Amino acid sequence: MTTDDLLTLAAATTDAPVAGAPLALVELTRSYGPTRALDRFSLDVRPGEFVALLGPSGCGKTTALRMVAGFERPDIGQVRVDGVDVSGVPAQKRDMGMVFQSYSLFPNLTARDNVAFGLRLRRQRAGVRRRRALELLDLVGLAEHTAKFPHQLSGGQQQRVALARALAIEPRVLLLDEPLSALDAQVRGELRDQIRALQQRLNITTLFVTHDQEEALSLADRVCVMNRGRVEQIATPAELYAHPSSAFVAEFVGVSSRVPVDRRGEHVVIFDRDVAVRGAPLAGHVGALDALLRPEDVRVRPADAGNGVVQHRVFLGASTRLEVGFADVVLKTDVGSSDANRFEIGTRVTLEMVASDVLVASRRIPAAALD
Amino acid sequence: MVAPVTPLDLGDDLGVEPFAITAPVTGTARGPRRSPRWGRGLVLLVAALYFIVPIYAALDFALQNIQGHFSLAPLTQITAQPGFAAAVGLSFRLSVVTLAIELVLMVPTVIYVHLRLPRFRRVMEVVTLLPIVIPPIVLILGVLHAARPYQWISSSPYLLAAVYVILAMPFVYRSLDSGLGALDLRTLVEASRSLGAGWIATLWRAVLPNLRSALLSASVLTLALVFGEFTMAQLDLWTTVPVWIYNSSSTDPHVVTAVSMMFLLVMWLVLTLIVSLDRTHRRAKGPSR
Repeated sequence: MTTDDLLTLAAATTDAPVAGAPLALVELTRSYGPTRALDRFSLDVRPGEFVALLGPSGCGKTTALRMVAGFERPDIGQVRVDGVDVSGVPAQKRDMGMVFQSYSLFPNLTARDNVAFGLRLRRQRAGVRRRRALELLDLVGLAEHTAKFPHQLSGGQQQRVALARALAIEPRVLLLDEPLSALDAQVRGELRDQIRALQQRLNITTLFVTHDQEEALSLADRVCVMNRGRVEQIATPAELYAHPSSAFVAEFVGVSSRVPVDRRGEHVVIFDRDVAVRGAPLAGHVGALDALLRPEDVRVRPADAGNGVVQHRVFLGASTRLEVGFADVVLKTDVGSSDANRFEIGTRVTLEMVASDVLVASRRIPAAALD
Repeated sequence: MVAPVTPLDLGDDLGVEPFAITAPVTGTARGPRRSPRWGRGLVLLVAALYFIVPIYAALDFALQNIQGHFSLAPLTQITAQPGFAAAVGLSFRLSVVTLAIELVLMVPTVIYVHLRLPRFRRVMEVVTLLPIVIPPIVLILGVLHAARPYQWISSSPYLLAAVYVILAMPFVYRSLDSGLGALDLRTLVEASRSLGAGWIATLWRAVLPNLRSALLSASVLTLALVFGEFTMAQLDLWTTVPVWIYNSSSTDPHVVTAVSMMFLLVMWLVLTLIVSLDRTHRRAKGPSR
């Protein structure tokens, strides 16, 4: 089933699209012993918006999601849905649809009964439950599997039933806790498209937790990058990639190479060229600096007198990633795969800066130097 | 023996059913090497004899009259035995009460420990082993001594049920513990709550139906224990079935043996029934995870 088919199906459902509610996380703080899982974490999600919480494991993203769901309580702070603080409301009364990382279908119920579970608790009549469950299973492309038990479905199918089940209760907010991480690559891609198509069609406010930057960038309207319980940056995927607000974001989102640079006035010197600094003025930085270079910021050319040496090559399909040894650092850059045979391992190359400005950060002392 | 079937997720994901690979049936490839099969047969035979010979001997003895000839009289006389019906009635009431208390106490406790106090599981394991480690005679003398000031309970047969709850605890705990261990309990509970179910609805609709096998085996073990326990009932001076069998063995040993055989048969039938019910259910719902 293609995304277009899905949209058609979604349009064909008789019920009105679920209206998205605004969601606000206000100064959420939670400590576990000496560790702060969340530290004054705030986030506003607009009605119908899809926001991804992205960060390394332990950054607090799952804790934040579980607070919205009502499975964890903040020490301080509020969760507001439609302007109303729901921090004290138990999970079962919050009307949040949730899809979990692990398969969460009730093993004793068929796909249809799983989807109808929430409707049954809402005392909907059997006929209504049945019709709505079938509609939703149809929507996620499982119309032929309604009578199957979870163990008879593949992992991807189970997650789609879980999605239908979460949508069946017409939730005010949809919460997705790494729903794709247990699936293999191909299924993950398909389900990812499907989630996005449904979310846009139903216009439902969605919070999505992931540690996979590709997922976050491809799905979300805005991405909230988290680190140590705090917000590092909230921005659209394009903004996040092009204008990371910190070294952490630059290195966590997309590929970056750190190259030590010297200052020259308001510029830094990279490959003997003066390059402007992106974001905060250079005067704000104290001490030695590193430049954070994206693969596309740099161009390489084979040259016998070049100052870099190709150390490693990774074929990525249309492009090939080169790791070039330069001074004491390794720099990642991409060349077209058709061109890649000019860059055998050991080839000497010259490096040239093509970006007009560059992000800088305080120099990181290599671990070896600390010993 | 059926080879294990493993569902394979091939990422088919748009409509194609997942399929299963069945492991090759053992034996065909090992044609000439027959000796392990003989060995297995021998072990099975010895084990079968170990169980069947005493049962056969008891059955043979049960179906004899006083003169030592074959007779069905001991079977027909069972119900006419003085005190028999009362003993069965008492054992039955005790088993129902024991089972009810056991499940009401243990099911929420074990679920709570799994959900909220997973580190407490080791402590629970040790605690629930105590009734096996403490000799029954010590346990019942302690209970009788402790209950003596409270006339209403010390004079009631249901004091025995309270003791049986403790005796059955190791078996019930282990059944439930392994049943819950096979479920992703936390996710099931959270999924159910996010869909609008309170704690009771979650327990009733999402957890207990998936603990069916564990609950059945816990129940069977409890019933078997209550119908077979002798020491406590004897010391508490209540005539349950085992006590009645012991008391009557001097008057008519043939009938008493027939009663024992009948209970063996009844228990076996109950077990078979429960197992087959569970199997039918599993065929519908598939193997529990």
